[in-house]
Amino acid sequence: MKTILLIASFIFTISLTAQTPYEKGMTKAFELWGNQKNTEAIQLFERIASAETDNWLPSYYAGLIEIITSFNIKDEALLTTKLTRAKGYLDNAATISENNPEILVSYALLNTAYIAFDGQKYGMSLSGENIALYKKAASIAPNNPRVLLSKTEWDMGSAKFFEKSIAPYCEDIDQAIVLFEEEKQTIPFYPYSGLERAKEISSNCKKETSPN
Amino acid sequence: MKALSLLLFTLIHVNLISQTTVYGKVIDNQGIPIMGANVYLEGTYDGTATSENGLFSFETEEQGEQTLIVSSISFETYSKSAEINFFNNIIIKLKDDVNTLDAVTVNAGTFNAGDNAKVTALKPLDIVTTAGALGDFVGALQTLPGTSNVAEDGRLFVRGGDAEETQIFVDGMRVFTPYSPSTNNIPTRGRLSPFLFKGITFSTGGYSAEYGQALSSVLLLTSIDEPQEEKTEISIMSVGVGLGNTQKWKNSSLSLNISYINLTPYQKIYSDDNDWHKPVASLSGEAVYRYKFNNDALLKVYSAYSAVNFDLTQKDINEIDGIRFGLKNKNLYVNSSYKDFLKKDWSIVSGVSFANDYSEINYSLAEITDIENSAHLKTTLNKYFSSRYKLSFGAEYFITNFSENYRDSSIDRLYTFDNNILSSFVETDIFFSKKLATKIGLRGEYSELLQEFNLSPRISLAYKSGENSQFSLAYGKFFQNPKNEYLKYDTNFTAENTTHYIANYQYVKNKQIFRAEAYYKDYNDLVKYDTPVALPISSYSNSGNGYAKGLDIFWRDNKSIKNTEYWLSYSYLDTERDFQNYPTKATPNFASTHNASIVLKCWIEDWKSQAGLSYNFASGRNYTNPNKRGFLTEQAKNFHSLNFNYAYLMSPQKILYFSISNVLGTQNINGYQYANEANTNGIFDRRAITPAADRFFFVGFFWTISDNKNDNQLDNL
Repeated sequence: MKTILLIASFIFTISLTAQTPYEKGMTKAFELWGNQKNTEAIQLFERIASAETDNWLPSYYAGLIEIITSFNIKDEALLTTKLTRAKGYLDNAATISENNPEILVSYALLNTAYIAFDGQKYGMSLSGENIALYKKAASIAPNNPRVLLSKTEWDMGSAKFFEKSIAPYCEDIDQAIVLFEEEKQTIPFYPYSGLERAKEISSNCKKETSPN
Repeated sequence: MKALSLLLFTLIHVNLISQTTVYGKVIDNQGIPIMGANVYLEGTYDGTATSENGLFSFETEEQGEQTLIVSSISFETYSKSAEINFFNNIIIKLKDDVNTLDAVTVNAGTFNAGDNAKVTALKPLDIVTTAGALGDFVGALQTLPGTSNVAEDGRLFVRGGDAEETQIFVDGMRVFTPYSPSTNNIPTRGRLSPFLFKGITFSTGGYSAEYGQALSSVLLLTSIDEPQEEKTEISIMSVGVGLGNTQKWKNSSLSLNISYINLTPYQKIYSDDNDWHKPVASLSGEAVYRYKFNNDALLKVYSAYSAVNFDLTQKDINEIDGIRFGLKNKNLYVNSSYKDFLKKDWSIVSGVSFANDYSEINYSLAEITDIENSAHLKTTLNKYFSSRYKLSFGAEYFITNFSENYRDSSIDRLYTFDNNILSSFVETDIFFSKKLATKIGLRGEYSELLQEFNLSPRISLAYKSGENSQFSLAYGKFFQNPKNEYLKYDTNFTAENTTHYIANYQYVKNKQIFRAEAYYKDYNDLVKYDTPVALPISSYSNSGNGYAKGLDIFWRDNKSIKNTEYWLSYSYLDTERDFQNYPTKATPNFASTHNASIVLKCWIEDWKSQAGLSYNFASGRNYTNPNKRGFLTEQAKNFHSLNFNYAYLMSPQKILYFSISNVLGTQNINGYQYANEANTNGIFDRRAITPAADRFFFVGFFWTISDNKNDNQLDNL
């Protein structure tokens, strides 16, 4: 299963007139993240979360960075410590915003980090959990491009594993691109990104499934 | 102009509001500065991270009482509410987070399997993909050190104890008849399907005060809380067929399983030493219902019914025509448990299990009817004071009613007894630090049948000696009422008991585990009788005793060879007992001095297959040769078995599985049966007790139908 790091490539359109402490804080946190200062970024998101108790985004991002930086960790103790923290952040976000498809997809990404570390140990229980998470997210938000993209990437990973054609999934990726382009970006700091990654996968799809 | 006015405004604003500096230092419990800890005032944007020397300093405009939060990975989060001025030049000592993977674990005597365990000796898939285990969780556990290979029996024999000294629990509730009925020299299998469980804890000694009535070992199984999806599973095997279905609703789920096994076709193609009149046929069904309440409380009800039938004639040295043995068994088992979280970090777990076992046995000319009704009721309360201190206590009641009707041409008798036991226990888990932890428990048991009260203290201690290594010690006293086969004839007993002393060393690094454990067990008050077999007329006493001591070694490596996992186990056992009808102290015939296993699994990417090999070795077990003097002084030859299995994933949902036990066809000898009378030359003839068949083949096709196209029955194999 190929690790999905789609959300790592966030591009944010941030209003230049960042004035409220929230906007200032979030802008600063993204800047830290962009500069690979992951721990500092997580800490700032954690602090913002403590002030903005009814906003799920800061906790969501704190969790997301912990997850993304967990991939490729070789020490299981550190991995579980980080992912346990990540789960805490996501749980906090999920309490503020119930049945949020973006958070559900992040839970699946968290499981994927465990599976990527040791498929034999974690694969059996967590891959089923992921299927359920994607199913739930898709039923809540059928037109969310990130839900479709993550779910399709997961399916493609399994298809590749069994040397099945990934062609049927390429259509889903193209559908995700359409959804991305239709998406209205209205909420500041919302994780809208993913289009770039979808396009990249789509172009690989065309290469792999072309007749020659 | 605009910028200037903003600046002016800001300056004035700042001047009007007084600023406080929050500063100090963050250290760990040894006084070493913690770098990069997140320090902030809760509910504000004011905060910073600590520098290399643990120092922090930030400005705030907040006034009055504030809460300072300090959080850092691998430490418990610190929180303190006080007037803002209190946080000037404050030194904050963070406590180690003891819930991390690298914290010490109190593990003497215990192996964990499942993904919820800190150190996993067996992974969930291992239970079903270990060659030679044939999908029986007991088979997989027999590759762990501390177990003795008793190939003709199939049950768990732990550290010099016999199979009945091991008790099995599902979700904390006792399983009264965990094994399918069998007869001499035909290994039994566990009744419970392995795929119902998410976690397995196998304790070979020194276990928690929550468990009693087991002298040697407990096997704790945790069932799945919530199935992941709706699905239908179809299995077509060389020995039978199976069908499973899982349905999910909003708060509940139901899984049903039915299987029919019939060995007639197999016996026709590949006959064995026995003369089968009716090869083993069994029909079994399981249902698991789970209901999740809105407050996270969970109710699980597991029920299983099985009917087993067989009839055969087995060779016997004393009977030219052999001995006929027929069995019809019906077994019903219900296990329900309820878990709820109460206020103030209390939680409660309550359960009831019930078993009804009915057997009709034809043994030679005798007809025997056994009926056993058993129940277990239990309630446990847990209090979570902190991650460093937990307390649990509870009470339980075991009810067993056994009756046996024995009929032959001259006798028709009924033997019956009630064996009820009331127990209570209290236990506490204390972490002194990330490096030192202890578990202390006390258990009291009152047996109505024996009219006695016994107190069992249990204590274990663990110390983390290095980054990857730790030492643990355990001590405990264990009581168990005598077996049904004695109680049905006599009840004037005291409980058999043993004391365990265990020392354990464990080294865990990056997908490699090394574990060495030494133990000493002291047995007392074992049952003795004075006839060749236990009979109604025998005279019984508790004058037996014995000991077992040994060393268990385990090594598992999932890292060094690509796509390959392997483990090695070795057990050394030195045990002697004077019990049953032994004239003297001797090593029982179920104990072998050396036991070793090698298990290897290899994932072959290009073939989408997993190949597995296992090799089991056991040194020869003792037997008595009446042609020589002495009791249990002879030794049978060593046991060897090389097993192979192969699983091919045809597609994500279709698996073809093949396995063969004892590939090399090694002629193993489990012991000898001697004639009751000497022949004309004055010599007692003997017959080697060998496995009925040298090899066992199994072929199966498993198909899963679900929305999720990737799920399969790997866990069913």
